[in-house]
Amino acid sequence: MSDLGKKLASIAFDELGADYLLAMREEHGNVAPVMLARGQDPGEIRLDVPYQLVNILSNIYPWLKDGKVAVVTRRCDEKALEEFFKRELFDPRRILKIGLACSKEQVAKCRCSDPVPAKTHIGEPQKAMEKDELSEKLMAMPPEERLRFWAYQFKKCNKCFACTLTCPVCFCDECILEEKTFVPEPGIPPGMSFHLIRAYHLADKCIECGECERSCPAEIPLLTLRKLLAKDVKEIFGFAPGDRKTVSPLLTVLEEGCNEC
Amino acid sequence: MARIGVFICHCGHNIASAVAVEEVVKFARTLPDVVYSDHNLYSCSEEGLGSIKKSIEENKLDRVVVAACTPRTHEPLFRRLCEQAGINKYLFEFVNIREHCSWIHAKEPNAATEKAKKLVAMGVSKAALLEPQVESESGVIPTAVVIGGGLAGLTAAASLVAQDIDTHLIEMEGKLGGQLNDISILAPNFEKSADLLNKLVSELKKSERGHIHLGAKLVDVKGFVGNFEITVEEEGVQNKIPAGAIILATGTQEHQPEGEYGFRKAPGVVTQLEFERALQRGEVPKRVVFIQCVGSRQPGREYCSRICCNTSLKNALRVVEAGGTAAIIHRDIMSYGAAWEELYRQASERGVAFFRYSLEDKPRISAENKHILVEVFDDNLGEGVTLHTDLVVLATPLVSRDDSGDVSRMLKVPRDKNGFYLEAHVKLRPIEFATDGVFICGSARWPSSAREVMCQALAAAAKAAIPIKRGKVVTEAITAWSDPDKCAGCGNCVIACPYEAIEIVDQDGRKIAKVNETQCKGCGNCVAACPNDAMQQRGFTTRQLSAMIDALVKRALEESS
Amino acid sequence: MSDFNPTILAFCCNWCSYAGADLAGVSRLQMPPNVHVVRVMCSASVKGEYILKAISQGVDGVLVLGCHIGDCHYMTGNHRTAKRIPVVQKLLKDVGFDERRVRLDWVSAAEGEKFQRVITEFVEEIKGLGPNPVREVMS
Repeated sequence: MSDLGKKLASIAFDELGADYLLAMREEHGNVAPVMLARGQDPGEIRLDVPYQLVNILSNIYPWLKDGKVAVVTRRCDEKALEEFFKRELFDPRRILKIGLACSKEQVAKCRCSDPVPAKTHIGEPQKAMEKDELSEKLMAMPPEERLRFWAYQFKKCNKCFACTLTCPVCFCDECILEEKTFVPEPGIPPGMSFHLIRAYHLADKCIECGECERSCPAEIPLLTLRKLLAKDVKEIFGFAPGDRKTVSPLLTVLEEGCNEC
Repeated sequence: MARIGVFICHCGHNIASAVAVEEVVKFARTLPDVVYSDHNLYSCSEEGLGSIKKSIEENKLDRVVVAACTPRTHEPLFRRLCEQAGINKYLFEFVNIREHCSWIHAKEPNAATEKAKKLVAMGVSKAALLEPQVESESGVIPTAVVIGGGLAGLTAAASLVAQDIDTHLIEMEGKLGGQLNDISILAPNFEKSADLLNKLVSELKKSERGHIHLGAKLVDVKGFVGNFEITVEEEGVQNKIPAGAIILATGTQEHQPEGEYGFRKAPGVVTQLEFERALQRGEVPKRVVFIQCVGSRQPGREYCSRICCNTSLKNALRVVEAGGTAAIIHRDIMSYGAAWEELYRQASERGVAFFRYSLEDKPRISAENKHILVEVFDDNLGEGVTLHTDLVVLATPLVSRDDSGDVSRMLKVPRDKNGFYLEAHVKLRPIEFATDGVFICGSARWPSSAREVMCQALAAAAKAAIPIKRGKVVTEAITAWSDPDKCAGCGNCVIACPYEAIEIVDQDGRKIAKVNETQCKGCGNCVAACPNDAMQQRGFTTRQLSAMIDALVKRALEESS
Repeated sequence: MSDFNPTILAFCCNWCSYAGADLAGVSRLQMPPNVHVVRVMCSASVKGEYILKAISQGVDGVLVLGCHIGDCHYMTGNHRTAKRIPVVQKLLKDVGFDERRVRLDWVSAAEGEKFQRVITEFVEEIKGLGPNPVREVMS
């Protein structure tokens, strides 16, 4: 039993009183998610793999009829969980969080502005990144150039749907982007609406875990697109996803005394 | 494959003067699924309708597109025609090439013709995806529930029983009448409120249709028009009352001006309602000063309560009548309407003194021996006046009841920022809430005089009787539905629906959205809120509207190449 | 750019803006022929997806017209329109479109003249912006 595995098991089962532990484990050189019960050998637990455990949890949750699950959560995972709790898709009493503070490298990779979990069990909290350089560079460009940049990126898309499959806050089982209603182009690359609609759908729920960008084989800077719109939504409504107590401003009425009209 | 027929209307010269109708007919024949196209001089004329009907039958059309005027006026006519020709009326699509084309591009015939072609292409693309619909119809429980047993509720209930409708009147207090019990005389005609009260109560009691629930607390309201279930707690027991319509007549309460003008600290300072009770006991002081707008028309509570001026005029006259003197210190006298203006005239003539103060310089009160001194800077005289009086009456506004929030949540009806209930539309749909089958009357809606309360109550009773007398509720088939295979149960639609017509239910272990079609008004808010296209509106599905966009794009490309 | 003849899509709510457009017609108010109205029951039923699709497909401009705030036939429906459209506009801006290609406005059933003004101004604005560049950059 590795030290890390021992530590995690002790936090999950002894400290938090969980029935299961969901984590990433290395076996024969492969890293894969694993669900452990109390007393099972955790083996070679890995925390350096940037993986959305919440997304994995959402796939197995319907089969977990009872018991509490401890899951390793970065700050973004916590926020993803909040989005699940908000929609009553998970019972918050059954999910226990083992806070993981991301490493400096991980923070840099995600240009993460909010890297420290509510309670850090593992890792050293790192400073947030103030800005996303690509975002700033793009917004400083003339719009025509920015459009060409994104068009170039979007034309690389081969519609593999990795971005939607790995996204923890894509709640749908089937994706409308697979249908021609809004994406009429029959082949690849899909038209621009594919990416615009996906960005629009995430406007009030993206928790900036960066999974779409990491999983994109075409290396489209999708996290930057998310960050750009997140900034807009924050500016317009003062809203940021990742808090179960808030409601998406896109669904609610205007504040009283608003002068939009 | 659909078999679509397209009919282009000349509308005499109205369309044909700008749009080359026959060219559009030819164009329509090239569109997918169109098997027939023709033009009519007037599609809506008997001749036009007859020709369309014949074409439907001869060409076995299963969908009809008429390009003519506006669906807002003529859609029902062509829908009826479709039904007569054996096609479901929801397989009809209207294209507006008059108001939206020929009339507004009168001097550009080429552009107008091209635009008409695009509009027809869009309409045809939508029509191909139309589906037959069945209008849903549901029964109505022939019972009404009136919440609140004051003047408004009593009047409404008495009117309903007179219409032979079973009516339950729910009153939380131990006796009927509400604030009417505290008021002995009603202005402007000085009738005894007890007479009015007794008349209404006896009408209600003598009818076997009337069911009075005293000391009854509203616990819960479920359901929708025609089929409500109202839970009421009486003597610790909860009863469920099924009803087809609900009238909300919960009234209002008098604002208590804590800390103002020595209220509750100095003797001889009372509110108007306290003064009414004193008058009822026969206690008429020699000298009375009324101060208006106490706690209203000022920051924090900006509205005018409307009834306070008239009440002060009435009570000042009663003081004068008994041989005393009265003064009214006001900011503006709001004695609107003929009868009230007459009351104001009478008060002036009979020596009631009027002084006008401004918000910046309110009257001041002090005690001296056995009198109260009221100092006021009169705006009209431009100088200070000191009045000696035995009693100061503070005319405070009627405010929303403390429990109005609970009732609002139970009935799912909105309130304004002052806590008064909001009707669907002040002019087009007064008395009605946006929620079908729920009506509002009396001062719960806005401070109102007894006479206004009664008018509203009669209107509410008349409105509430409509669904009950009809016996059924028909819903136009433009309601929303959720595709259970696609729905992820995220609940966006539940939040976005203005009518609380959607709930998340458990279906085979999956959470999915379910629309109550009787409650759904067909606004499509839920459709836009649904990320997964699971939520659809009949007659406006996302595939239909997307097809219209595709058709526009396609035609624009054809045109430019 | 003078021969640029933009293709514009307008979503009008049934109760206010579509009626306002009808009134403009009845009043014979003349306006450019570039705008094609799609009738919807409420402006808040206009999915962001429609607008994004239309722009992606090369439509030069999209108008969303609804009842004035406070006058919505569906009480608070248009509140959601008021909140949704700015997000769509910002998204378009973020990827390099001119956000003026999408416009939200309120036209009541009594405002035929406002309908004419909104249409005329919007067509002028889109003409000023030039053709939607999406087809060129994505080809």
